[in-house]
Amino acid sequence: MTSHRISTGGRIDRDKPVAFTFDGKRYSGFEGDTLASALLASGVRLFGRSFKYHRPRGLLAAGYEEPNALVTVTTDGAREPNIRATELEIHDGLVAESQNRFPSLAYDLMAVNGLAGKVFSAGFYYKTFMGPVIGPLKGTRFWMFCETFIRRAAGLGAAGTTPDPSRYERMNAFCDVLVVGSGPSGLEAARKAAADGKRVILCETAASFGGTANWSGKDGEMFADTVLSGLKSEPNVQLLNRTTVWGYYDGNTLAALERVTDHVGRPRAGKPRHRHWVIRAGHVVIATGALERGFVFPGNDRPGVMLADSAQRFACEYGALPGRRMVVFANNDSAYQAAARLRERGAEIVAIVDVRPTVGDWAQSLAAEAGAETIPAHAVTGTSGGKSLTGVTIRGFDAETGNLSGSKRRIACDTLLVSGGWSPVLHLASQAGAKPVWSDKLHAFLPPESDGAWEAVGSAAGEGIEPPEPVFEIAATGGKAFVDFQHDVTADDVRLAHREGFQSVEHLKRYTTLGMATDQGKTANVPGMAIMAAALGKPIPEVGTTRFRPPFTGASLGALAAERYGDLRPERLTPMHDQHVAAGANMYAAGLWFRPESYNRPGETVEEAYVREARNVRRNVGIVDVSTLGKIDIQGPDAGEFLNRVYTNNFGSLPVNKARYGLMLREDGFALDDGTTWRLSEDRFLMTTTTANAGRVMQHMEFYLECVWPDLRVNLTSVTDQWAGAAVSGPKSRDVLAACVKLTKVDNDTLPFMGIVHGKIAGAPVMICRLSFSGERAYEVYCGAHHGPHVWDALMNAGASHDIQPYGLEALGTLRIEKGHVTGAEIDGRTTARDLHLDWMLSKKKPFIGSAMMDREGLTDPRRWTLVGVISLSGEKLRGGSHIVDGPAEKPGRSLGHITAMCYSPLYGKYIGLALVENGVARIGTRGFATDPARSKTHIPVEFVNHVFYDPKGGRMHG
Amino acid sequence: MAKQRPGFIADPVMRARAVSPLAGHIETGQFGVAVGQSPSVRLGERFGLSIAEVTAWKGRESKCRAAIKATASAALKVAPGSGSVKTAAGAFNIAPMRWLVSGESPELVANLADAVSEDGTVTDLSHGRTVIRVDGEKSRWVLAKLFAVDLSDAAMPRGNGLATAHHDIFAQIQRVGADAFDVYVFRSFARSFWHLLCRSAEEAGYRVD
Repeated sequence: MTSHRISTGGRIDRDKPVAFTFDGKRYSGFEGDTLASALLASGVRLFGRSFKYHRPRGLLAAGYEEPNALVTVTTDGAREPNIRATELEIHDGLVAESQNRFPSLAYDLMAVNGLAGKVFSAGFYYKTFMGPVIGPLKGTRFWMFCETFIRRAAGLGAAGTTPDPSRYERMNAFCDVLVVGSGPSGLEAARKAAADGKRVILCETAASFGGTANWSGKDGEMFADTVLSGLKSEPNVQLLNRTTVWGYYDGNTLAALERVTDHVGRPRAGKPRHRHWVIRAGHVVIATGALERGFVFPGNDRPGVMLADSAQRFACEYGALPGRRMVVFANNDSAYQAAARLRERGAEIVAIVDVRPTVGDWAQSLAAEAGAETIPAHAVTGTSGGKSLTGVTIRGFDAETGNLSGSKRRIACDTLLVSGGWSPVLHLASQAGAKPVWSDKLHAFLPPESDGAWEAVGSAAGEGIEPPEPVFEIAATGGKAFVDFQHDVTADDVRLAHREGFQSVEHLKRYTTLGMATDQGKTANVPGMAIMAAALGKPIPEVGTTRFRPPFTGASLGALAAERYGDLRPERLTPMHDQHVAAGANMYAAGLWFRPESYNRPGETVEEAYVREARNVRRNVGIVDVSTLGKIDIQGPDAGEFLNRVYTNNFGSLPVNKARYGLMLREDGFALDDGTTWRLSEDRFLMTTTTANAGRVMQHMEFYLECVWPDLRVNLTSVTDQWAGAAVSGPKSRDVLAACVKLTKVDNDTLPFMGIVHGKIAGAPVMICRLSFSGERAYEVYCGAHHGPHVWDALMNAGASHDIQPYGLEALGTLRIEKGHVTGAEIDGRTTARDLHLDWMLSKKKPFIGSAMMDREGLTDPRRWTLVGVISLSGEKLRGGSHIVDGPAEKPGRSLGHITAMCYSPLYGKYIGLALVENGVARIGTRGFATDPARSKTHIPVEFVNHVFYDPKGGRMHG
Repeated sequence: MAKQRPGFIADPVMRARAVSPLAGHIETGQFGVAVGQSPSVRLGERFGLSIAEVTAWKGRESKCRAAIKATASAALKVAPGSGSVKTAAGAFNIAPMRWLVSGESPELVANLADAVSEDGTVTDLSHGRTVIRVDGEKSRWVLAKLFAVDLSDAAMPRGNGLATAHHDIFAQIQRVGADAFDVYVFRSFARSFWHLLCRSAEEAGYRVD
């Protein structure tokens, strides 16, 4: 292949060659090249196969609007499809491949689809693959069956299945002015804002700042370089290249994607691949420029047909000449500038075909500069060549009527430059809520009047755009004429949609898929609407207005997930975490917390370990980490009154240095949470909540203090993390404390059940409350969290001679099931105090949250699910969540409730559980079944018993 | 000698008996620093501080500010987020009528409780929070990866602070120097947050002393 590299000029560094592969073949380019420019310079014309018809496609554009040249990049086994070759910067070792072809890009067997003609017209699969009325593939089932094959034949690239090893990050930014786009208008806006002392962020989607200044001539380039070097020295200006602002959200919050290291082969450690920017801007300047459109005519998709400005960009910015012998086809003057510039860069401009009957003096002089024959009142009606353009056919053309006349003339060329007018890039303004307005002068949508939060400048606002002749389609015969290249939507598809009754632009889009996929119709929307308007006989703005939603161009999901990926979910650890791990505990995730499940000895199963641990608590003494309990410091002269209102039972009368078990209800009368609350001084309480409900209870109480009872003088502060807590339980627990607690006695008189003392253990201050979750004599020892490991060790040492063993969540659960204590499994949002046999806690002397609603008819119905104990009669292991039923496996009957918790009870030597069962109390002494048909497929006979299996009178914990 | 108070009033950190949640997880040295360059961020834990939350009763805000000034030498303005920082102590507003006060003195919390007295409440959080200092020219860059708050000179003068969150991790941040910030996180999240912070700082290159 011949080299199309121009020897001088452009923003590539000819001293830095770069080697890469495309479809397995090695190529070289220079630093600063995109994959498109490097391949173009190497003489490559064929970049991809089209979506449906698998037609050969080349480059249409040079930037983010490119519809054809999508490639897949593979990095360390990870595949990323649908990357535009025009934006992909090459680096040493880059591996890219073309898409949607089999077996190869040059010889694609699926190109046979092109011969099927009308079969693949708009909406083809809705019509073609409707199944028969009966049978296994009836109706849409046939469609679903075919879909697999259709998707394989038609489509874009395929994503890989290996994990993406790249790193992604999020960044938050604040500025007074965000300028989107660094072309001449954007640079000028940034310069002015910076001069006014504003904090400025300037985002440029391309690698180099400057936008069109990089390819439109020396003057522009010099201006851009001067302004840019000024901006770089401003401390209040942040310049972000390779950064696409893709979303405009409420409150002037914008989302941007920075491609940090895509352009380097091996990024430095710590560098993310992409960075997701969330920018909160005082004001937004939309300086996103305008996009050139092509024409719709037969064969307009042949490789070698390129937008005029894009060809200029390839030649001037990258030093890659798209061809040698070029024809220009235009309806406006801007293409003449491109022609002159391309001639200057070494191309031969054979002719400029213009649909306008006359061409102005300025354009004429540019045509002369380009050395081109000007052919007015003509249009290109076809192209020739196989996978590469070899010539075009032109005919006389009346721009008023669209009629062709005269004989065909063929002009040999390898490149056809098209310029069918310009569309301002107003996507961000549209996302900001503005409805674009049609300009009859520019034949394009323009951003409307701004609400003040943003402004559009430069060609994004329509400034400086050459007004075109309103010609969008050359209706000639001789092959498919494409509107949307990426989705293979032709002019005939649009007219077919019209004939089938789709009239609004939104319906047109969905039926034909025009404007969908990765380019979102950036070059196709306006021609598509023009053809629809012509079919309807209406002016373009009456067909509808295309609105845009984020993202402007694709944003990687990795960047959106950012640091939440992989190992960075926060872990919440208790002060004694490392000690549990060192003692061999299986750590168990409970919400964000990590808690010991059981401390398995070598060879022990979890069940063997927890049975041993629970048995040791009943016989000797055990210690369990309870630091995860929610803890709230409640202070103020009205704290007692506040608790009286929050809890169902009385707290105002609780003496100092005593604790009480409390229950709180929701407003609707259902149980919310339980826990013990300690009175530390006259106006200070320490509330404990269940681990899982800590946040919820805090919010609940804060709401009441802020909104319902602002007159109460009470302050709340979460102290969950301030205190480490260890529960020491078992008949020998008092001996353990007596051996290590200083400054206070711990005997029954000094520290009775629910009493509180203050002392020291191994020199660290502790608060000890005698309360029991296990049913044994037990104490909760609290100390400052940083002292937690020290105090834990001291307790373990003091307990060594009493056979102390740490126990985990499983043993904790076993002990509480035996004792019939409830937890979140029973306080599940559907149970009342009565359901849980806690009605003794419902004070009749005072109102409290939930008291007005708790006696509703439905909540006092004796048939409600109530808490009972269950014992497995067959010796089989019960499963939490099993349904309680009356009948045997073959005829179980309806569900009467479910098992909330189960364990192997060392006490009973059997599997036991707690269950919520319809009319539960009346069933005590009877039998039923625990059925689990979906998971373990067990159907176990059970006996219903009182929910308190162990020491119902509480002698052991009070003693 | 610290005043003897029950732990729920004031529980100063006894260094000989205390363990930081970051113990064993703070690796000193330079990380992510390219050859020939110096780290642009310094990270470190400020362990063992006395930390307390002061909440004023309505109408007693100025008395509480005065109590904080008397105890921690931190003169506080009325505006939200106002704070002050001295070498040995500092304070900043974290919510309406609420301040976070911290300092080196083990008597700080007990003294605050005395000074605030009937004008509000004081809660000792010396064990409940882990304080991580992020300093250096790229400190804002690193923190901006994690927090959606404006840490610029204009938005956050030295001494001021705010309460925010990084996903599940609640955090309070005080600006304590030209480029230095103290981040207060719940103790239980400290290890996760430390690793996250180190990872976020790798790009800039960081040093842990």
